[in-house]
Amino acid sequence: MRRSYDVIIIGGGVQGLSLAYNLALRKAGKIAVFDKSYIGSGASGRNGEMIRSAFGSEEWIRFFDTSLRLWETLSEELDFNVMFTRCGYLVLAATNDELVTFRKLTRLQKALGLDTRLLSQEEVIEWIPAINPKMAAGGILQPGGGFARHDAVVWAYEKAARRMNVRIKPHTEVKDIVIDNNSVTGVMTTAGKISAGMVVNAAGGHARQIAAMAGIDLPTDVYRLEMLATEPLKPFLPWAVSSPHTLSYMHQTTRGEFVGGAEIEHLKPAKNLRSTGAAIQDMAGKFVRLFPGLGKVNLMRQWAGIVDMAPDASPILGPATGLESFVLDCGWVYGFVGAPAAGSLLADYIVSGEIPRNIRPFHINRFKEGKPIRDLSLVVPTKSTP
Amino acid sequence: MSKKMVCFCQDLTDADIVRAIKEGYDHLETLKRFTGAFMGPCQGKMCAANVVKLYAETTGHPVEDLRIPTMRPPVEPISLGSLAPEKGGDDDA
Repeated sequence: MRRSYDVIIIGGGVQGLSLAYNLALRKAGKIAVFDKSYIGSGASGRNGEMIRSAFGSEEWIRFFDTSLRLWETLSEELDFNVMFTRCGYLVLAATNDELVTFRKLTRLQKALGLDTRLLSQEEVIEWIPAINPKMAAGGILQPGGGFARHDAVVWAYEKAARRMNVRIKPHTEVKDIVIDNNSVTGVMTTAGKISAGMVVNAAGGHARQIAAMAGIDLPTDVYRLEMLATEPLKPFLPWAVSSPHTLSYMHQTTRGEFVGGAEIEHLKPAKNLRSTGAAIQDMAGKFVRLFPGLGKVNLMRQWAGIVDMAPDASPILGPATGLESFVLDCGWVYGFVGAPAAGSLLADYIVSGEIPRNIRPFHINRFKEGKPIRDLSLVVPTKSTP
Repeated sequence: MSKKMVCFCQDLTDADIVRAIKEGYDHLETLKRFTGAFMGPCQGKMCAANVVKLYAETTGHPVEDLRIPTMRPPVEPISLGSLAPEKGGDDDA
């Protein structure tokens, strides 16, 4: 095995692989990706796989719309079908108060160039007759959003990166970060010491542990997010749907399964991937409230993934503070939809030394500077919103 | 290769599994995600033994060294309605 690289990326998930691919595309030298398990073993293969840029803050909209534009041509770019189904994405309002807020958000989205529109209660019911009218006051529809096959996206980036000579090493765990003179110079792995000009932390749910090896205390906690899939059903859900009111999200796969997840309001930090009774009751209750017909439908499977989440649920992107040659690509909750933009913009940063405008607000210093990001359209509880 | 069904939920044959392994989905977990074996309505109850045996024969990994993908709850399909709490929902208020 080669003992020296220009860039080493820790984490073989959709983030690390997108970045590796984008670095190779920019001819950034010799690149390697390490993962302690198989490729795509973490949250990259456990998420809701939904795609939108219709968020509720300028920072999120600008960043995720960069991603949406990349999603549009991703299958072609990577020469692998990621099965991006552009069926549309609905952010559902449950109450009239919420709809008033959403009306303001569509104005912000339009001003930033997004194609979104506010739907009335009647329009939502017309498109989704199965929805409970008491849970649907209207919503924001983004016709260009939808969902993609999460595993296919991981493999697409992996194969494209390998074709450009990126070395991808599954089952190779990083045990320590090597630091020399306040600068990261390599990693200690289960396959020995490997030196690097730069090291990127893209370790997903384990990013906090990796940062700690470099002496950096990320302002994050590890949470377990759980999901379910039902038996296959005839198509009834035309769009991917998020419901901020119930902290839930859902779509119907091309195989017909209803797939979704929900967060309980007071999430407590957790470390393992065990499915819980509290989560299945919460999800079942919310989904049956939203779609009463689902009450008779069978649950097929339940699973969990972990995220290492910041208090504002926003990602932490860019160079670390107080340590040279260490880049953060972590704090992800919406990491699946954000991967094309994060890989592209962080690669731009690594190659040029300039932090691109659309990732600047996500720098780790925002916490010290008291500038957390506030987005009103998320389906995870944040500590910065009441 | 003959055409033997190994996964009845996703209509997978032995040839489908061997082809997937040769295409690089050569870990049981990635093989599961690529083919859909273990993930249909049976959730592995019918296919696991077939797929694991064929995987072991194709890759040369001894069966006893393999970690079968996690069996997810529920043990048997159960309706969402029976799991949902009876009350509590702002639409009922």
